[in-house]
Amino acid sequence: MEALRNVSFSASTGEFVALLGPSGCGKSTFLELIAGLESITHGDITIDGVRITGPDPNAVMVFQEHSLFPWLNVFENVGFGLRMKGLSGEPYEFLVRTVLDRVKLGRFAKHYPHQLSGGMKQRVAIARALVSEPAFIMMDEPFAALDFQTRFLMQQFLLDIWTEFRSTILFVTHQIDEAITLADRVLVFSAGPGRILEEVTIALPRPRISTKPDFNEYRTRLTDLLEQEVMRAHALEMTA
Amino acid sequence: MPGSRPATAKVESVVARPGVNAPPPWLGHAKRIGLGFAPWVVLIALWEMAAARGWLQMSLFPPPSAFISYAIESDLKVGFGREAMSLPYAIVASAYRVLAGLAIGFLFAIATGILVSMSRTASLAVLPIVRGLAPIAPIAWIPIGIVVFGIGNATAVFVVFTGVFFLLTLSTVSAVQSVDSRLIKTARSYGASPRQVWTHVIFPAVLPQVFTMLRLNFFAAWMAVLAAEMVGLKNGVGMIVILGREMFNGNLVMIGICAIGVTGYLIDSFLLFLQRNILWWSDRGAL
Repeated sequence: MEALRNVSFSASTGEFVALLGPSGCGKSTFLELIAGLESITHGDITIDGVRITGPDPNAVMVFQEHSLFPWLNVFENVGFGLRMKGLSGEPYEFLVRTVLDRVKLGRFAKHYPHQLSGGMKQRVAIARALVSEPAFIMMDEPFAALDFQTRFLMQQFLLDIWTEFRSTILFVTHQIDEAITLADRVLVFSAGPGRILEEVTIALPRPRISTKPDFNEYRTRLTDLLEQEVMRAHALEMTA
Repeated sequence: MPGSRPATAKVESVVARPGVNAPPPWLGHAKRIGLGFAPWVVLIALWEMAAARGWLQMSLFPPPSAFISYAIESDLKVGFGREAMSLPYAIVASAYRVLAGLAIGFLFAIATGILVSMSRTASLAVLPIVRGLAPIAPIAWIPIGIVVFGIGNATAVFVVFTGVFFLLTLSTVSAVQSVDSRLIKTARSYGASPRQVWTHVIFPAVLPQVFTMLRLNFFAAWMAVLAAEMVGLKNGVGMIVILGREMFNGNLVMIGICAIGVTGYLIDSFLLFLQRNILWWSDRGAL
Protein backbone atom coordinates (compact mmCIF):
# COMPACT_ATOMS: atom_id res chain seq x y z
CA MET A 1 0.00 0.00 0.00
CA GLU A 2 1.50 3.24 -1.09
CA ALA A 3 1.82 5.59 1.82
CA LEU A 4 3.26 8.68 0.17
CA ARG A 5 3.74 9.97 -3.29
CA ASN A 6 5.87 12.85 -4.48
CA VAL A 7 5.97 14.97 -1.39
CA SER A 8 8.21 17.95 -1.33
CA PHE A 9 8.18 21.23 0.49
CA SER A 10 10.62 23.72 1.89
CA ALA A 11 10.92 25.15 5.35
CA SER A 12 12.93 28.07 6.59
CA THR A 13 15.22 27.80 9.55
CA GLY A 14 13.33 28.23 12.76
CA GLU A 15 9.94 27.88 11.12
CA PHE A 16 7.08 26.05 12.76
CA VAL A 17 5.39 23.86 10.18
CA ALA A 18 2.28 21.84 10.91
CA LEU A 19 1.35 18.74 8.92
CA LEU A 20 -2.40 18.42 8.99
CA GLY A 21 -4.40 15.63 7.48
CA PRO A 22 -6.81 12.76 7.99
CA SER A 23 -5.61 9.64 9.78
CA GLY A 24 -3.64 7.23 7.69
CA CYS A 25 -2.58 9.83 5.15
CA GLY A 26 1.08 9.12 5.65
CA LYS A 27 2.03 12.22 7.62
CA SER A 28 3.54 10.20 10.47
CA THR A 29 5.39 8.05 7.95
CA PHE A 30 6.67 11.20 6.31
CA LEU A 31 7.97 12.46 9.63
CA GLU A 32 9.76 9.22 10.36
CA LEU A 33 11.32 9.30 6.89
CA ILE A 34 12.74 12.74 7.52
CA ALA A 35 14.01 11.57 10.89
CA GLY A 36 15.73 8.69 9.15
CA LEU A 37 13.78 6.14 11.15
CA GLU A 38 12.01 4.59 8.19
CA SER A 39 13.40 3.78 4.79
CA ILE A 40 12.05 4.65 1.38
CA THR A 41 10.90 1.84 -0.87
CA HIS A 42 11.03 3.84 -4.09
CA GLY A 43 12.75 7.09 -4.73
CA ASP A 44 14.86 9.38 -2.66
CA ILE A 45 14.45 11.47 0.37
CA THR A 46 16.73 14.44 0.60
CA ILE A 47 17.18 17.42 2.83
CA ASP A 48 18.83 20.31 0.96
CA GLY A 49 19.83 17.85 -1.74
CA VAL A 50 21.57 15.53 0.69
CA ARG A 51 20.12 12.03 0.87
CA ILE A 52 18.93 10.82 4.24
CA THR A 53 20.39 7.44 5.04
CA GLY A 54 19.69 7.03 8.71
CA PRO A 55 18.82 8.76 11.94
CA ASP A 56 20.67 11.94 12.73
CA PRO A 57 20.83 13.58 16.13
CA ASN A 58 20.31 16.85 14.31
CA ALA A 59 16.77 15.77 13.53
CA VAL A 60 15.16 14.35 16.64
CA MET A 61 11.77 12.74 17.00
CA VAL A 62 9.22 13.26 19.77
CA PHE A 63 6.49 10.63 19.92
CA GLN A 64 3.02 10.86 21.38
CA GLU A 65 3.78 8.69 24.39
CA HIS A 66 5.91 5.87 25.74
CA SER A 67 9.11 7.44 24.52
CA LEU A 68 10.72 8.02 27.90
CA PHE A 69 13.04 5.27 29.12
CA PRO A 70 11.29 3.86 32.19
CA TRP A 71 14.53 2.77 33.89
CA LEU A 72 16.03 6.25 33.77
CA ASN A 73 14.93 9.16 35.90
CA VAL A 74 13.98 12.54 34.47
CA PHE A 75 17.53 13.88 34.60
CA GLU A 76 18.97 10.83 32.85
CA ASN A 77 16.22 10.78 30.25
CA VAL A 78 16.76 14.40 29.34
CA GLY A 79 20.50 13.91 29.14
CA PHE A 80 20.25 10.80 26.95
CA GLY A 81 21.09 12.54 23.69
CA LEU A 82 24.08 14.23 25.26
CA ARG A 83 25.27 10.89 26.62
CA MET A 84 25.09 9.35 23.18
CA LYS A 85 27.29 12.16 21.95
CA GLY A 86 29.81 11.29 24.61
CA LEU A 87 29.26 14.24 26.90
CA SER A 88 29.74 13.75 30.63
CA GLY A 89 30.75 15.45 33.84
CA GLU A 90 30.30 19.15 34.53
CA PRO A 91 29.23 20.39 31.09
CA TYR A 92 26.71 17.56 30.82
CA GLU A 93 25.19 18.24 34.24
CA PHE A 94 25.06 21.96 33.60
CA LEU A 95 23.23 21.63 30.28
CA VAL A 96 20.66 19.20 31.65
CA ARG A 97 20.09 21.29 34.77
CA THR A 98 19.58 24.40 32.68
CA VAL A 99 17.00 22.82 30.44
CA LEU A 100 15.20 21.23 33.37
CA ASP A 101 14.94 24.56 35.12
CA ARG A 102 13.77 26.19 31.92
CA VAL A 103 10.89 23.73 31.58
CA LYS A 104 10.16 23.99 35.30
CA LEU A 105 10.93 20.35 36.00
CA GLY A 106 13.96 20.95 38.22
CA ARG A 107 12.11 19.61 41.23
CA PHE A 108 11.42 16.33 39.48
CA ALA A 109 14.95 15.55 38.36
CA LYS A 110 15.12 12.34 40.37
CA HIS A 111 11.62 11.16 39.58
CA TYR A 112 10.92 8.23 37.32
CA PRO A 113 8.51 8.34 34.37
CA HIS A 114 5.93 6.16 36.08
CA GLN A 115 5.65 8.82 38.77
CA LEU A 116 4.79 11.58 36.32
CA SER A 117 1.55 12.69 34.72
CA GLY A 118 1.05 12.55 30.95
CA GLY A 119 1.69 16.25 30.50
CA MET A 120 4.87 16.16 32.55
CA LYS A 121 6.15 13.18 30.60
CA GLN A 122 5.73 15.08 27.38
CA ARG A 123 7.49 18.06 28.89
CA VAL A 124 10.41 15.76 29.69
CA ALA A 125 10.35 14.43 26.13
CA ILE A 126 10.42 17.96 24.76
CA ALA A 127 13.18 18.99 27.15
CA ARG A 128 15.17 16.00 25.96
CA ALA A 129 14.70 17.12 22.37
CA LEU A 130 15.71 20.69 23.13
CA VAL A 131 18.79 20.08 25.19
CA SER A 132 20.94 19.02 22.27
CA GLU A 133 19.68 22.01 20.23
CA PRO A 134 18.96 20.08 17.03
CA ALA A 135 18.21 21.84 13.76
CA PHE A 136 14.95 19.92 13.34
CA ILE A 137 12.47 18.64 15.87
CA MET A 138 9.84 16.26 14.55
CA MET A 139 6.75 15.90 16.66
CA ASP A 140 4.19 13.21 15.95
CA GLU A 141 0.93 14.36 17.55
CA PRO A 142 2.73 14.90 20.86
CA PHE A 143 -0.31 16.23 22.70
CA ALA A 144 -2.95 13.91 21.32
CA ALA A 145 -2.97 11.70 24.41
CA LEU A 146 -3.55 14.61 26.80
CA ASP A 147 -6.80 16.04 28.08
CA PHE A 148 -8.03 19.41 26.84
CA GLN A 149 -6.65 21.59 29.64
CA THR A 150 -3.26 19.94 29.68
CA ARG A 151 -3.06 20.14 25.91
CA PHE A 152 -3.82 23.86 25.98
CA LEU A 153 -1.10 24.46 28.56
CA MET A 154 1.38 22.32 26.66
CA GLN A 155 0.73 24.29 23.46
CA GLN A 156 1.51 27.53 25.26
CA PHE A 157 4.54 25.89 26.82
CA LEU A 158 5.83 24.72 23.45
CA LEU A 159 5.43 28.13 21.85
CA ASP A 160 7.16 29.74 24.78
CA ILE A 161 10.10 27.35 24.62
CA TRP A 162 10.33 27.49 20.86
CA THR A 163 10.75 31.26 20.74
CA GLU A 164 13.92 30.70 22.73
CA PHE A 165 15.43 27.59 21.17
CA ARG A 166 14.20 28.25 17.65
CA SER A 167 14.68 24.82 16.05
CA THR A 168 12.70 24.17 12.91
CA ILE A 169 9.66 22.23 14.07
CA LEU A 170 7.65 19.79 11.98
CA PHE A 171 4.48 19.07 13.90
CA VAL A 172 2.01 16.40 12.86
CA THR A 173 -1.54 16.85 14.08
CA HIS A 174 -5.05 16.04 13.06
CA GLN A 175 -6.52 18.88 15.11
CA ILE A 176 -7.17 22.00 13.11
CA ASP A 177 -7.20 24.41 16.05
CA GLU A 178 -3.89 23.10 17.24
CA ALA A 179 -2.34 23.64 13.82
CA ILE A 180 -3.60 27.21 13.63
CA THR A 181 -2.54 28.04 17.18
CA LEU A 182 0.99 26.79 16.76
CA ALA A 183 2.18 26.93 13.18
CA ASP A 184 3.63 29.53 10.85
CA ARG A 185 2.53 27.36 7.96
CA VAL A 186 0.14 24.44 7.67
CA LEU A 187 0.66 21.71 5.08
CA VAL A 188 -2.64 20.01 4.38
CA PHE A 189 -2.13 16.38 3.38
CA SER A 190 -4.43 14.36 1.21
CA ALA A 191 -5.63 10.95 2.24
CA GLY A 192 -3.43 8.01 1.28
CA PRO A 193 -1.31 7.93 -0.78
CA GLY A 194 -0.29 11.14 0.92
CA ARG A 195 0.60 14.23 -0.99
CA ILE A 196 0.47 17.86 -0.07
CA LEU A 197 -2.88 19.29 -1.09
CA GLU A 198 -2.32 22.83 -0.07
CA GLU A 199 -0.07 25.07 1.94
CA VAL A 200 -1.71 27.61 4.17
CA THR A 201 0.37 30.31 5.77
CA ILE A 202 -1.03 31.50 9.08
CA ALA A 203 -0.51 35.24 9.05
CA LEU A 204 -1.68 35.89 12.57
CA PRO A 205 0.47 37.39 15.29
CA ARG A 206 1.02 35.21 18.34
CA PRO A 207 -0.53 34.67 20.84
CA ARG A 208 -3.48 33.52 18.75
CA ILE A 209 -6.91 33.62 20.32
CA SER A 210 -9.06 30.81 19.06
CA THR A 211 -12.30 32.71 19.55
CA LYS A 212 -11.44 35.66 17.34
CA PRO A 213 -12.83 36.06 13.80
CA ASP A 214 -9.49 35.97 11.99
CA PHE A 215 -8.67 32.67 13.68
CA ASN A 216 -12.08 31.42 12.65
CA GLU A 217 -11.43 32.26 9.01
CA TYR A 218 -8.49 29.92 8.98
CA ARG A 219 -10.46 27.32 10.87
CA THR A 220 -13.23 27.45 8.29
CA ARG A 221 -10.83 27.19 5.40
CA LEU A 222 -8.91 24.28 6.82
CA THR A 223 -12.04 22.49 7.96
CA ASP A 224 -13.53 22.73 4.47
CA LEU A 225 -10.35 21.38 2.95
CA LEU A 226 -10.13 18.51 5.38
CA GLU A 227 -13.78 17.58 5.19
CA GLN A 228 -13.66 17.48 1.42
CA GLU A 229 -10.62 15.28 1.61
CA VAL A 230 -12.12 12.91 4.15
CA MET A 231 -15.26 12.53 2.02
CA ARG A 232 -13.20 11.94 -1.10
CA ALA A 233 -11.09 9.31 0.60
CA HIS A 234 -14.14 7.62 2.01
CA ALA A 235 -15.77 7.50 -1.43
CA LEU A 236 -12.61 5.96 -2.86
CA GLU A 237 -12.62 3.34 -0.15
CA MET A 238 -16.23 2.46 -0.82
CA THR A 239 -15.64 1.95 -4.52
CA ALA A 240 -12.34 0.09 -4.16
CA MET B 1 -43.04 14.04 37.52
CA PRO B 2 -43.79 17.50 36.13
CA GLY B 3 -45.83 19.69 38.40
CA SER B 4 -44.92 18.03 41.67
CA ARG B 5 -42.79 19.73 44.22
CA PRO B 6 -39.09 19.56 43.35
CA ALA B 7 -36.91 17.72 45.79
CA THR B 8 -34.21 19.79 47.30
CA ALA B 9 -30.91 18.78 48.64
CA LYS B 10 -29.00 21.04 50.89
CA VAL B 11 -25.41 20.67 51.84
CA GLU B 12 -24.19 22.98 54.56
CA SER B 13 -20.54 22.31 54.24
CA VAL B 14 -18.11 19.55 53.64
CA VAL B 15 -14.66 19.78 55.00
CA ALA B 16 -12.21 17.31 53.55
CA ARG B 17 -9.01 17.18 55.51
CA PRO B 18 -7.27 14.04 54.42
CA GLY B 19 -5.01 12.48 56.96
CA VAL B 20 -6.15 14.32 60.05
CA ASN B 21 -8.24 11.53 61.47
CA ALA B 22 -6.55 8.78 59.50
CA PRO B 23 -5.03 5.95 61.50
CA PRO B 24 -1.22 5.81 61.61
CA PRO B 25 0.31 3.88 58.67
CA TRP B 26 1.97 1.26 60.83
CA LEU B 27 -1.43 0.15 61.95
CA GLY B 28 -2.31 -0.73 58.37
CA HIS B 29 0.86 -2.76 57.96
CA ALA B 30 0.33 -4.51 61.28
CA LYS B 31 -3.22 -5.38 60.31
CA ARG B 32 -2.10 -6.84 57.00
CA ILE B 33 0.64 -8.96 58.53
CA GLY B 34 -1.68 -10.01 61.31
CA LEU B 35 -4.33 -11.03 58.81
CA GLY B 36 -1.69 -13.03 56.98
CA PHE B 37 -1.05 -15.07 60.09
CA ALA B 38 -4.67 -15.49 61.05
CA PRO B 39 -5.54 -18.46 58.76
CA TRP B 40 -2.41 -20.24 59.95
CA VAL B 41 -3.26 -19.67 63.58
CA VAL B 42 -6.70 -21.14 63.00
CA LEU B 43 -5.30 -24.13 61.12
CA ILE B 44 -2.71 -24.88 63.78
CA ALA B 45 -5.29 -24.53 66.54
CA LEU B 46 -7.54 -27.04 64.77
CA TRP B 47 -4.58 -29.34 64.22
CA GLU B 48 -3.57 -29.29 67.88
CA MET B 49 -7.13 -29.93 68.90
CA ALA B 50 -7.50 -32.84 66.51
CA ALA B 51 -4.26 -34.39 67.72
CA ALA B 52 -5.18 -33.91 71.36
CA ARG B 53 -8.56 -35.56 70.78
CA GLY B 54 -6.92 -38.49 69.09
CA TRP B 55 -8.54 -37.85 65.72
CA LEU B 56 -5.14 -37.79 64.07
CA GLN B 57 -2.47 -40.41 64.29
CA MET B 58 0.39 -38.82 66.18
CA SER B 59 3.01 -40.81 64.35
CA LEU B 60 1.81 -39.55 60.99
CA PHE B 61 0.61 -36.03 61.66
CA PRO B 62 2.28 -34.68 64.76
CA PRO B 63 1.10 -31.16 65.49
CA PRO B 64 3.50 -28.22 65.82
CA SER B 65 3.63 -28.60 69.59
CA ALA B 66 5.07 -32.06 69.08
CA PHE B 67 7.51 -31.62 66.26
CA ILE B 68 8.79 -28.25 67.32
CA SER B 69 9.63 -29.52 70.79
CA TYR B 70 11.23 -32.57 69.18
CA ALA B 71 13.40 -30.30 67.07
CA ILE B 72 14.44 -28.29 70.07
CA GLU B 73 15.21 -31.43 72.05
CA SER B 74 17.47 -32.63 69.26
CA ASP B 75 19.39 -29.35 69.36
CA LEU B 76 17.98 -28.60 65.93
CA LYS B 77 20.01 -31.44 64.53
CA VAL B 78 18.85 -34.13 62.21
CA GLY B 79 20.37 -37.52 61.68
CA PHE B 80 22.88 -39.55 63.66
CA GLY B 81 26.46 -39.15 64.73
CA ARG B 82 28.75 -38.07 61.96
CA GLU B 83 25.98 -37.54 59.48
CA ALA B 84 24.06 -35.29 61.81
CA MET B 85 23.17 -32.06 60.13
CA SER B 86 21.90 -28.93 61.76
CA LEU B 87 18.55 -27.65 60.62
CA PRO B 88 19.66 -24.07 60.00
CA TYR B 89 22.56 -25.39 57.94
CA ALA B 90 20.23 -27.54 55.87
CA ILE B 91 18.02 -24.57 55.15
CA VAL B 92 20.96 -22.42 54.15
CA ALA B 93 22.37 -25.17 51.94
CA SER B 94 19.12 -25.65 50.02
CA ALA B 95 18.54 -21.93 49.72
CA TYR B 96 22.04 -21.40 48.42
CA ARG B 97 21.63 -24.07 45.76
CA VAL B 98 18.38 -22.75 44.41
CA LEU B 99 19.53 -19.11 44.42
CA ALA B 100 22.80 -19.98 42.70
CA GLY B 101 20.96 -21.99 40.08
CA LEU B 102 18.47 -19.18 39.51
CA ALA B 103 21.14 -16.52 39.22
CA ILE B 104 23.30 -18.48 36.80
CA GLY B 105 20.29 -19.58 34.80
CA PHE B 106 18.96 -16.02 34.61
CA LEU B 107 22.22 -14.46 33.49
CA PHE B 108 22.96 -17.12 30.88
CA ALA B 109 19.40 -16.94 29.61
CA ILE B 110 19.50 -13.17 29.12
CA ALA B 111 22.86 -13.42 27.38
CA THR B 112 21.73 -16.28 25.16
CA GLY B 113 18.36 -14.72 24.42
CA ILE B 114 19.88 -11.43 23.37
CA LEU B 115 22.65 -13.02 21.30
CA VAL B 116 20.12 -15.23 19.55
CA SER B 117 17.95 -12.21 18.78
CA MET B 118 20.86 -10.33 17.28
CA SER B 119 21.73 -12.92 14.67
CA ARG B 120 19.55 -14.92 12.35
CA THR B 121 22.13 -17.69 12.14
CA ALA B 122 22.42 -17.95 15.91
CA SER B 123 18.67 -18.10 16.17
CA LEU B 124 18.39 -20.90 13.62
CA ALA B 125 21.16 -22.83 15.30
CA VAL B 126 20.23 -22.42 18.92
CA LEU B 127 16.47 -22.06 19.21
CA PRO B 128 15.47 -25.55 18.04
CA ILE B 129 17.75 -27.02 20.69
CA VAL B 130 16.40 -24.75 23.40
CA ARG B 131 12.82 -25.51 22.45
CA GLY B 132 13.58 -29.22 22.40
CA LEU B 133 15.23 -29.28 25.80
CA ALA B 134 12.80 -26.94 27.53
CA PRO B 135 10.07 -29.53 28.24
CA ILE B 136 12.48 -31.87 30.02
CA ALA B 137 11.65 -31.78 33.71
CA PRO B 138 14.56 -30.83 35.97
CA ILE B 139 14.23 -34.14 37.78
CA ALA B 140 15.18 -35.91 34.58
CA TRP B 141 18.46 -34.02 34.54
CA ILE B 142 19.51 -35.39 37.92
CA PRO B 143 21.20 -38.55 36.64
CA ILE B 144 23.15 -36.55 34.06
CA GLY B 145 24.06 -34.05 36.74
CA ILE B 146 25.37 -36.77 39.01
CA VAL B 147 27.44 -38.30 36.24
CA VAL B 148 28.98 -34.97 35.26
CA PHE B 149 29.28 -33.22 38.60
CA GLY B 150 29.19 -36.05 41.08
CA ILE B 151 27.14 -35.94 44.24
CA GLY B 152 27.32 -32.44 45.64
CA ASN B 153 26.20 -28.87 45.38
CA ALA B 154 27.13 -28.59 41.72
CA THR B 155 24.56 -31.15 40.70
CA ALA B 156 21.79 -29.40 42.60
CA VAL B 157 22.73 -26.05 41.09
CA PHE B 158 22.87 -27.67 37.66
CA VAL B 159 19.40 -29.15 38.08
CA VAL B 160 17.96 -25.74 39.02
CA PHE B 161 19.82 -24.21 36.10
CA THR B 162 18.23 -26.59 33.61
CA GLY B 163 14.88 -25.89 35.18
CA VAL B 164 15.02 -22.18 34.39
CA PHE B 165 17.58 -21.61 31.64
CA PHE B 166 15.67 -22.86 28.59
CA LEU B 167 12.43 -21.26 29.62
CA LEU B 168 14.05 -17.92 30.40
CA THR B 169 15.95 -17.93 27.11
CA LEU B 170 12.70 -18.27 25.21
CA SER B 171 11.20 -15.63 27.46
CA THR B 172 14.08 -13.27 26.67
CA VAL B 173 13.68 -13.76 22.94
CA SER B 174 10.00 -13.01 23.24
CA ALA B 175 10.67 -9.97 25.40
CA VAL B 176 13.18 -8.59 22.90
CA GLN B 177 10.57 -8.75 20.18
CA SER B 178 8.03 -6.94 22.29
CA VAL B 179 10.21 -3.98 23.24
CA ASP B 180 8.25 -0.85 22.30
CA SER B 181 9.53 0.31 18.94
CA ARG B 182 9.16 3.92 20.05
CA LEU B 183 11.88 3.40 22.64
CA ILE B 184 14.20 1.99 20.01
CA LYS B 185 13.38 4.71 17.50
CA THR B 186 13.86 7.39 20.13
CA ALA B 187 17.27 6.02 21.03
CA ARG B 188 18.31 5.90 17.40
CA SER B 189 16.96 9.37 16.86
CA TYR B 190 19.32 10.61 19.54
CA GLY B 191 22.30 9.01 17.91
CA ALA B 192 22.52 5.58 19.55
CA SER B 193 24.45 3.08 17.43
CA PRO B 194 22.86 -0.35 16.87
CA ARG B 195 25.13 -1.76 19.58
CA GLN B 196 24.11 0.97 21.97
CA VAL B 197 20.48 0.22 21.28
CA TRP B 198 21.10 -3.34 22.48
CA THR B 199 22.92 -2.33 25.66
CA HIS B 200 21.09 0.86 26.58
CA VAL B 201 17.55 0.06 25.53
CA ILE B 202 16.81 -3.57 24.81
CA PHE B 203 18.73 -5.05 27.72
CA PRO B 204 17.09 -2.92 30.45
CA ALA B 205 13.73 -3.20 28.70
CA VAL B 206 13.64 -7.01 28.83
CA LEU B 207 14.88 -7.46 32.40
CA PRO B 208 11.53 -7.00 34.19
CA GLN B 209 9.65 -9.38 31.93
CA VAL B 210 12.26 -12.11 32.20
CA PHE B 211 12.59 -11.63 35.95
CA THR B 212 8.85 -12.03 36.35
CA MET B 213 9.16 -15.29 34.43
CA LEU B 214 11.88 -16.28 36.86
CA ARG B 215 9.70 -15.58 39.85
CA LEU B 216 6.83 -17.53 38.37
CA ASN B 217 9.13 -20.50 37.87
CA PHE B 218 10.73 -20.29 41.26
CA PHE B 219 8.51 -22.92 42.78
CA ALA B 220 9.41 -25.37 40.04
CA ALA B 221 13.07 -24.61 40.64
CA TRP B 222 12.62 -25.10 44.38
CA MET B 223 11.04 -28.49 43.77
CA ALA B 224 13.93 -29.39 41.50
CA VAL B 225 16.40 -28.76 44.31
CA LEU B 226 14.36 -30.83 46.71
CA ALA B 227 14.17 -33.67 44.22
CA ALA B 228 17.93 -33.55 43.73
CA GLU B 229 18.43 -33.57 47.49
CA MET B 230 16.05 -36.44 48.03
CA VAL B 231 17.60 -38.56 45.36
CA GLY B 232 21.29 -38.16 45.83
CA LEU B 233 22.65 -35.45 48.03
CA LYS B 234 23.16 -36.04 51.67
CA ASN B 235 21.94 -32.78 53.06
CA GLY B 236 19.46 -30.01 52.62
CA VAL B 237 15.84 -29.75 53.63
CA GLY B 238 14.73 -32.27 51.02
CA MET B 239 16.81 -34.90 52.69
CA ILE B 240 15.15 -34.25 56.03
CA VAL B 241 11.81 -35.41 54.72
CA ILE B 242 13.30 -38.55 53.19
CA LEU B 243 15.19 -39.32 56.37
CA GLY B 244 12.04 -38.92 58.38
CA ARG B 245 10.20 -41.28 56.10
CA GLU B 246 12.94 -43.90 56.19
CA MET B 247 13.13 -43.75 59.97
CA PHE B 248 9.37 -43.68 60.37
CA ASN B 249 9.83 -40.45 62.26
CA GLY B 250 6.71 -38.35 61.76
CA ASN B 251 8.25 -35.42 63.56
CA LEU B 252 11.16 -35.28 61.14
CA VAL B 253 8.83 -35.41 58.17
CA MET B 254 6.83 -32.51 59.55
CA ILE B 255 9.95 -30.56 60.37
CA GLY B 256 11.16 -31.10 56.84
CA ILE B 257 7.87 -30.05 55.32
CA CYS B 258 7.73 -27.00 57.52
CA ALA B 259 11.29 -26.02 56.67
CA ILE B 260 10.59 -26.46 52.98
CA GLY B 261 7.53 -24.28 53.11
CA VAL B 262 9.03 -21.51 55.18
CA THR B 263 12.28 -21.39 53.25
CA GLY B 264 10.46 -21.37 49.93
CA TYR B 265 8.25 -18.54 51.12
CA LEU B 266 11.21 -16.51 52.33
CA ILE B 267 13.13 -16.90 49.08
CA ASP B 268 10.09 -15.89 47.08
CA SER B 269 9.79 -12.79 49.26
CA PHE B 270 13.42 -12.06 48.60
CA LEU B 271 12.82 -12.29 44.84
CA LEU B 272 9.90 -9.94 45.20
CA PHE B 273 12.12 -7.53 47.10
CA LEU B 274 14.69 -7.70 44.28
CA GLN B 275 12.00 -7.03 41.72
CA ARG B 276 10.76 -3.95 43.52
CA ASN B 277 14.13 -2.45 44.33
CA ILE B 278 16.52 -3.45 41.59
CA LEU B 279 14.00 -3.41 38.79
CA TRP B 280 12.32 -0.30 40.06
CA TRP B 281 10.69 0.49 36.76
CA SER B 282 8.71 -2.70 36.37
CA ASP B 283 5.20 -3.35 37.62
CA ARG B 284 5.07 -3.23 41.37
CA GLY B 285 5.02 -7.01 41.74
CA ALA B 286 1.38 -7.74 42.37
CA LEU B 287 2.06 -11.39 43.09
